[in-house]
Amino acid sequence: MRLNGRPNRFALLVTMLGLCGLLVVLAIAGVLSPVEAVVAAPLNSLSGAFNRLSVSFNQAVDELNNLGQLRERIAELEEQLARGQIELLQLREAASDYDRLVSLLSYTTTLENQEFLTADVIGVDQTGIVRNVIINRGTRDGVAIGMPVTTDLGLVGRISGVSANASQVQLITDENSAVSSRLQETRADGSIIGQASGVLRLTFVDLDEEIRQGDLVITSGLGGNFPPDIVVGQVTSVRQFEFELFQEAQVRSLIDFQTLELVLVITSFQPIDLSVFDQ
Amino acid sequence: MGRYLSVPILVFATALSASILPQLVGFGVGLLGNVTPILNNTRGQFSLVMLLVLAWSIRSDLLSGFVWALVGGILLDLYSAIPIGTSSAALMIIVYAANGAAQQLYRMRIVTLLAMTLLATLFFQVYTYCALLLLGLSYDILMVIRIVFIPTIIYNLVGALPTYAIVRLIQRRLRVNASSSSPNLSLEADAGAS
Repeated sequence: MRLNGRPNRFALLVTMLGLCGLLVVLAIAGVLSPVEAVVAAPLNSLSGAFNRLSVSFNQAVDELNNLGQLRERIAELEEQLARGQIELLQLREAASDYDRLVSLLSYTTTLENQEFLTADVIGVDQTGIVRNVIINRGTRDGVAIGMPVTTDLGLVGRISGVSANASQVQLITDENSAVSSRLQETRADGSIIGQASGVLRLTFVDLDEEIRQGDLVITSGLGGNFPPDIVVGQVTSVRQFEFELFQEAQVRSLIDFQTLELVLVITSFQPIDLSVFDQ
Repeated sequence: MGRYLSVPILVFATALSASILPQLVGFGVGLLGNVTPILNNTRGQFSLVMLLVLAWSIRSDLLSGFVWALVGGILLDLYSAIPIGTSSAALMIIVYAANGAAQQLYRMRIVTLLAMTLLATLFFQVYTYCALLLLGLSYDILMVIRIVFIPTIIYNLVGALPTYAIVRLIQRRLRVNASSSSPNLSLEADAGAS
């Protein structure tokens, strides 16, 4: 086939685009999933190794750059620890009361019964537009679409795509992510929506509810997509106008999504499909 | 040989793009924060895979360029929210245009290469945005332009020349630039060329 002539070049382009179209259709139909697992295996290993390297490098550089800040931070954290220990004692008392009441009601909270699977973050989404990360666990480890992903600091996101040995996690900071949430203190319900700037927006909170700076936002469990009582973030500012139906607040997650290294997938949680009630 | 070489090179590049490169870019932006405030708090990425495919296609035959586009696109889609094959199609259009343009030129000047990089990046970003829209994922276009498109274009323009130089070195080693259809391409500064 002579490729110098324009018609032949164009015919080759059309043929190759047709091949791509076929790949897209097969990928959407899920036929390519086994092949994806095989192709992605070396990529995941290499990416994981690079990621560990880069995280170590970043940490070392950060530590060097922020030595002064770190000293101040240590002093601040020590003070917080002392306050936290006092609070912990009070909470332990409250927890023991709570445990007694719970056992009376034969009630168990959902989070206590959750099973977690640890996973390494091995990459970030390549489009740059979508806020996804790739983790090194897939269907072979029991991961399924919709499972919530957390760290010890709070909610990370949910599984949005899965292959045999890797999964994509849609972060809560993605613009298409919405998490039913509530304020821990006032129990006011709302919805946490990701923003392009990376901060979170708490919206759909009734005007007569009170939102204060520093309030903790947790998942509400409404909608069945996430278990309740997982920390989402902390309110940093509030926006309230009388002419609007709802008030909004900016929320900052306690997680640094740029340096995510390890996450926990809640494998025992099955999202509830409420679409059957739409009819 | 060049076609087979696409697999290890692009696997390596994709793994780099998904792990170390964003960190290095962030580190660089952090250091130059006062000089380049436009890049602070942005999410642009250095599109190494796209640049490698573009650079390869400029100095190779069309079929070889398509193989690179196919492999590169599949690898990119493995690490993105769009279905496999989507990025390959965009890269093939880029390869077709770049290869065709290179055939019309006697010499590849720096400005021409940068213009190709600019157009290819712009096309690839808009194409990806449209693909996400078709998948039902909508993003604020003005915000995406500010925090993704513009930084990505800047990073790609900065990285285009080193990438082209590396690819050219590989191609020389492989002696794949013997294609009779390719023009006599050489990277020269405009001043030097004139």
